[in-house]
Amino acid sequence: MPKKSVHYQKLLKKWTKKHANLQKEIFEKHKDAFDWLENNSKQIAVGSAAGLFLLTNPIIAQIPNEFSTSISNAQTVDKKVFLIYDLKSILPQTVEPLTQTQEKEIAQILERTFNIPVTAELAGKRLNTSYGYIGQEQHLARYPGDNMFNHFEKPEEAEKYWKYGMAPGLGAWRYFADSKNSMTEEENLSEKYYIAVQTFLAPGFELNAKEYVDFFKFRKMLVVNPQNGKAVVAVIGDAGPAKWTGKSLGGSPEVMQYLERADGRQRGPVLYFFVDDPENKTPLGPISYN
Amino acid sequence: MKTKHFYTHLIETTDITLEIAQLNVTSKERVHLLSLVEANIHSAVVSMVLSSLEPHDKKIFLQNLSINEHNKTWLHLRQKAGNIEEEIKKTIDDTISELLKDVRKVKS
Repeated sequence: MPKKSVHYQKLLKKWTKKHANLQKEIFEKHKDAFDWLENNSKQIAVGSAAGLFLLTNPIIAQIPNEFSTSISNAQTVDKKVFLIYDLKSILPQTVEPLTQTQEKEIAQILERTFNIPVTAELAGKRLNTSYGYIGQEQHLARYPGDNMFNHFEKPEEAEKYWKYGMAPGLGAWRYFADSKNSMTEEENLSEKYYIAVQTFLAPGFELNAKEYVDFFKFRKMLVVNPQNGKAVVAVIGDAGPAKWTGKSLGGSPEVMQYLERADGRQRGPVLYFFVDDPENKTPLGPISYN
Repeated sequence: MKTKHFYTHLIETTDITLEIAQLNVTSKERVHLLSLVEANIHSAVVSMVLSSLEPHDKKIFLQNLSINEHNKTWLHLRQKAGNIEEEIKKTIDDTISELLKDVRKVKS
């Protein structure tokens, strides 16, 4: 058990006491109203625990477990903590499309944190949502002849990512490169860090599908796990998943592993915003906070 | 489309977040301290609002709060407590200022 820092201990004591005093005062001063609520809770369907939590907002006695950021230097200003907290205060409680105001606020936070211009709407085009559940995708063939036996450059990559297999068909834009010999590093990274988004559900898609397809094809997006602050720049490499899956996008094995997101019952949400990068200067892959 | 609390849009946490981030604490401890800031703000807001309402309206407010109905909460408060949004904002700002002082005190 690591030793708790002095600053933390002092503030924990002070703020816990402050909160307890305030709650005591509230319950004493407005006892009649709380008694009434308790007696009528069945009739008004207070979702009991959740409802009472909103009223009392109990102090969390222990440090929450879900924040598993490792600490190399406690005195370094931790942008990741800012990001997690700032996003938490804006994101809705349920995973659902954001309002344009929320998108703008989040874009500002992401820009400030990662120093990359991002936006939910670019050139008048937007996706059906910028916040949704991400599912696991497979590797895609990068060029004609690419397969699981020649897909990985290093044995350690094969060890980590072999199990996800390769999609039987091509991505929505077919191959990433014309051939193995002509494949650039950027094309290679585009397959490694790709996402599949519901291009077909984008507002306006059906009116001008070709224009939208051209716009989305290999378009860079910043994908962020709001619960751990991990972020990656990826390209739109495929279209999907189907609406009935309940998922809004899919991530390549490398994207999913870096963001620490999983499919199935453990699935979680991500934010995904267009990177405004007309000169193609933003590199693909995980983003460092330094 | 629900934010966490009906007054979330009135909270500006940048100053206290930055101040806490500069403390000699771990990342997990920082996040926990921020959750304590949130809890104190919540109690301060609920206390202020309840004190502004008549007995019957306190019940309605608690009922709306307990089912997390932000629109109903605001509609009711604006009808019964006039310009309460400004008062809530002031309560939040005052609470954050007080907590900021605490942070600065432990740093000194």
